[in-house]
Amino acid sequence: MSLAASLRAIVGDTHVLDRPAELLVYESDGLPGYQRTPSVAVFPGTADEALAVVRTLARAGVPFVPRGAGTGLSGGALADGAVLLGLNRLKRIIAIDPVRRVARVEPGVVNVTLTKAATPFGLHYAPDPSSQTACTIGGNLAENAGGPHCLKYGVTLNHVVAAKVALPDGTVVELDSDDGGYDLLGAFVGSEGCFGVALELTVKLTPNPERIVTLLADFTSIDDAAQTVSAIIAAGILPAALEMMDQATVGAVEASIYAAGYPTDAAAVLLVEVDGATVGLDDDVQGVDGICRAHGARDVRIATEPAARARLWQGRKKAFGAMGRLAPHLVVQDAVVPRTKLPALLARIAAIGDENQVRVCNVFHAGDGNLHPNIPYNANDRDEAARVHVAMRQIMQACIDAGGTITGEHGVGLDKLPYMDALFTPDTLDGMCRLRDVFDPLRRANPGKVVPVRYCRERRPATATTDGGRRTDDR
Amino acid sequence: MTLRPDSVAELAAFISDAASARRALRLVGRGTWLDADEAVRDAEPLALTAFDGVIEYEPGDLTITVGAATTLAELDAVTAAHHQWCPLAPWGGDTGSVGATISTATSGPFSHALGLPRDLVLGLECVDGTGKVLRPGGRVVKNVAGFDLVRLMTGAWGTLGAITRVSLRLRARPAADETWHLPLDATRADEVQQELRRSMTPPIACELVREDQLSGAIADGLLVRLAGNAAVVAAGRADLQRRADARAADGALWTTLREHAPSRVPRRPRSPAVQALNREVKHAFDPAGVLNPGILQ
Repeated sequence: MSLAASLRAIVGDTHVLDRPAELLVYESDGLPGYQRTPSVAVFPGTADEALAVVRTLARAGVPFVPRGAGTGLSGGALADGAVLLGLNRLKRIIAIDPVRRVARVEPGVVNVTLTKAATPFGLHYAPDPSSQTACTIGGNLAENAGGPHCLKYGVTLNHVVAAKVALPDGTVVELDSDDGGYDLLGAFVGSEGCFGVALELTVKLTPNPERIVTLLADFTSIDDAAQTVSAIIAAGILPAALEMMDQATVGAVEASIYAAGYPTDAAAVLLVEVDGATVGLDDDVQGVDGICRAHGARDVRIATEPAARARLWQGRKKAFGAMGRLAPHLVVQDAVVPRTKLPALLARIAAIGDENQVRVCNVFHAGDGNLHPNIPYNANDRDEAARVHVAMRQIMQACIDAGGTITGEHGVGLDKLPYMDALFTPDTLDGMCRLRDVFDPLRRANPGKVVPVRYCRERRPATATTDGGRRTDDR
Repeated sequence: MTLRPDSVAELAAFISDAASARRALRLVGRGTWLDADEAVRDAEPLALTAFDGVIEYEPGDLTITVGAATTLAELDAVTAAHHQWCPLAPWGGDTGSVGATISTATSGPFSHALGLPRDLVLGLECVDGTGKVLRPGGRVVKNVAGFDLVRLMTGAWGTLGAITRVSLRLRARPAADETWHLPLDATRADEVQQELRRSMTPPIACELVREDQLSGAIADGLLVRLAGNAAVVAAGRADLQRRADARAADGALWTTLREHAPSRVPRRPRSPAVQALNREVKHAFDPAGVLNPGILQ
């Protein structure tokens, strides 16, 4: 029986795709500019089916790439001839426990769907990537996804309590933050599909704030806006979100259907959200307002009504989409720098853009120092594509030189592989490979991602793990 | 005899030699409160005391990088000068080292509200059981580059690597900060603790205390720490006074409480499958089994 036939026997005929025209849909994820075609795409409908698929792939010794909603921004869900394992049909919310404030979900549950299900209990799922209306909790786990509100509430790592995981060899393990031994759950979060597939997750739910206030401050100097970011944090105020957009981004947003009423003549705008209990909140709002004005803000708009707040947020959340109007392709970056280096880095990024004659649109989580310098361009214009490539390398190097990192929330995937050895020593990269080999000694899960292959030495695993040789936790 | 390397290179050489000779090593930070379990006592002590002091501290970034042997007291003093702090404050007190706190993932009274050690570590440097120097993570507050060796080393009890430096997340010290004592019987204290932790303005710490545990310093009940802006703390204070005969208490009691806490002990994973994974992790980073042998295995 062919592999596709074996998979059809598990999930049914309609949930296995192997015709080229069907597979075309799965040749890209959320990052434009890469195409890789899987050999087969399989979409199990239950956790049992997913496990049977993983075990079938293990027996066949076939590489596979797990995929949630395919909204990732690092090329992490691209399957180059491998089997694409789509988990988006596993979308059951198994249980919500409002007392313990946790939810048990399948990996294909859409981020915002969980929040909607938790709303009647006055709770929500805090990590909120901009793709939250489409991306899945399982994908969030694999990428250790962030989002604007992670400044106050933390990233996915801080919200996952336990995960039932199918290792690539078909072994099932229950990773629990409360268990003894090594923090294997912590190691699994953000492993980008290279350590296996989560079949079920237990995540924390966060109480909804009593009151939310969103402020929009506009600046005539990007440097003033950047200085304001550090001043707010230094004052001891911890906003729920602290976002910056530069003039290029504001222009793109305002020209699109996502227009949010941002001032297009501003050099930069800061979107600041303060939330929590009603008591004491106004003091923080006044604090932020005062700091913005003291640092040269022309105007500070304060929105408290849901509709007005949603409008201010719309432009930010849809900024990547709005950039789609500027050019057919978009390079998306995700570097992080120490917060105090933001003013210098933004100046350096502007200079790099000028030198290479490319247009950089900055939209980012300023409070975390998590930059998204994006460059819209036409990949078919070879000269422009080459200049974009040079500019990106220079920006990444500048961020690394400033003591930063190459990705804060999107993951390494395929796109950021070339920067890994500028950031880590060969021994550190080898250590990462050793950790991967514990979970996947045959290196079949999402092969070729995260750590450049040349840093992964050949080695023999501690114990034989072929044919599901490890003991499986009772299910 | 105690080995006392002066540099990371020397530490790497010591571990590499020990691995070749299959000589067991027992990692020692300040040697004050990490006694792990009996098994490692027979091994040769490897003192990490040379890796001491602040390496990089830019207060505006709210991050700090310190040598692993830096004491918690020093971390507190250095950050206090800039009106900041690191909420690690582990059970056991302030004489232990940052490295031991991270190695044992020892939490403290602020962990519930402000994060566990795994939530506060941004990056680290360590020498694994093969003598290789690993530098995963970084010093920025958000970082998903590569597989997470930082979380792996946090709570590994020095069985995978000897931690030499740690980068940590800091917080601004709150504008208002008060400690209150609520005399309550055990059942009621437990209920109030749950209610306070679930309130809209949870205290940053809220611990059950027993008179005998604190050498009679205060009566049985709850020790509560309110922090935030003045309005938040005032509202919290009023709430406590509604619930019980709340009395202002000395903030130093938190240190006393931490010093009186029992040491954390290493635990093995519950299930055979996870135990098997643990063994493979140990084998991957310490194939000769020389670092703190016996612990967690």
